[in-house]
Amino acid sequence: MDNINLGRHISGQFNEDLENVINHVMHMGGLVEKQLSDSLTAVYDADETLAKNVLANDYKINALEVSIDDECTRIIAKRQPAAGDLRLIMAIVKTIADLERIGDEAQKIARVALENFSGEQKALLLNLDNLGRKVLEFLQATLDAFTRMDVDAAVKTHQSDEKIDREYEALMRQLMTYMMEDPRSIPQIMTVIWSARALERIGDRCQNICEYIIYFVKGKDVRHTTAEDIKSL
Amino acid sequence: MISVSPRALDPKVKLDLNNLSPEQVALEIKNLNLYYGDKQALQNISMSIPKGQVTAFIGPSGCGKSTLLRCINRMNDLVDICKVEGEINLHGQNIYGKQVDVAALRRQVGMVFQRPNPFPKTIYENVVYGLRIMGENNRRVLDEAAEKSLRSAALWNEVKDRLHDSALGLSGGQQQRLVIARAIAIQPEVLLLDEPTSALDPISTLTIEELINDLKKQFTVVIVTHNMQQAARVSDQTAFMYMGDLIEYSDTNTLFTTPAKKKTEDYITGRYG
Repeated sequence: MDNINLGRHISGQFNEDLENVINHVMHMGGLVEKQLSDSLTAVYDADETLAKNVLANDYKINALEVSIDDECTRIIAKRQPAAGDLRLIMAIVKTIADLERIGDEAQKIARVALENFSGEQKALLLNLDNLGRKVLEFLQATLDAFTRMDVDAAVKTHQSDEKIDREYEALMRQLMTYMMEDPRSIPQIMTVIWSARALERIGDRCQNICEYIIYFVKGKDVRHTTAEDIKSL
Repeated sequence: MISVSPRALDPKVKLDLNNLSPEQVALEIKNLNLYYGDKQALQNISMSIPKGQVTAFIGPSGCGKSTLLRCINRMNDLVDICKVEGEINLHGQNIYGKQVDVAALRRQVGMVFQRPNPFPKTIYENVVYGLRIMGENNRRVLDEAAEKSLRSAALWNEVKDRLHDSALGLSGGQQQRLVIARAIAIQPEVLLLDEPTSALDPISTLTIEELINDLKKQFTVVIVTHNMQQAARVSDQTAFMYMGDLIEYSDTNTLFTTPAKKKTEDYITGRYG
């Protein structure tokens, strides 16, 4: 929390409120990360129990989103935060919405583990796992940048999405080749495509979170700007 | 990716406070220094206050915001040990120039204080007081001015049936609006408000804030307030002062979301001290 200067509000209660809400976001981030990592492992190991666990645990993330939202509304109503405090609250409100959606995507991935794949189709899952591990790293780096509110890390992490997108396209081409070779495999491959798509979306959402970090620290809204604009910060 | 600057969508055109055209400027303060005896209370203040807008001065107690406001209609002349250097230009003319008639200046620059100070006269006489002093005795002119000012001050409907009752019978919020009506009856160009709502209840405060928003259509308003949220609500520009220095002066939206200076940030987020 290098860049979050909380300890110096005259109102100790306000400090406490902000600290609590940040801690809850981090807790939520940790849960989301675990959900994604578990869903990838469940697919890789064809572990049905783990996959069912992921599906069952999503409610925790949803509940956190609601309660953090509530905390933020209360802070706005009671404290009228300004400047950095206001930007922090805005960044948090948006971040938790994206985290919640990442949780939903993890659920989609976990469902793949509940499908029956024949031996040769398992090779497909390997490629998916490759993309998945990269996305997981991306999410970890994003959460790390959020924890430290580190704008340089956020800018650097923001660029990782490009790599994810390229990897996603390569995987798509490969899957299409498989479909052409063996039309009977299309239903299974479609499942893989949906989860690849889910992973790609997680990358986009991590990118959003990086943008909120930049907004909080720099006060600049970099959504819908070019990569050059962001680098020039 | 579509490249649209988010600022391009901002509907409100921002004034460039460092580069206002002469028509846009109501008051220009240049290198203003003020001393109370040996103590310097204002340090080299330079700023342009735009016409037809609300400009707020904020800052902790003793930062010089009220002192600066009082300079604008030379209220500080009443303090013996006070010495002013520098210029304040109204219409390109320095109000601290030798030929300036202070009474005439105060007709152009009206002022309202923290505590409502109606004269112990009727409501009507309070409002037309300034006009009478200026020699206006035509009953019709005075009646018209009284109604117009009271309407502008959002007080007409409440007092129209008792214009000849004592002003001291009004509530605090009504008295403050009466004082504003009195100030605008003589059609000043600039209206100075020194913490106009600090003695009022929240509802009266909101009425006055709403009034300030209407007043800027006719006058340039400069307001000093302890209440930061009030500055955020009513002003177009905000100046943050600290220990006699003007720390940051920018449009209110920017100042309250992305202040440029750390001191400003600390003050408006409650980290001051």
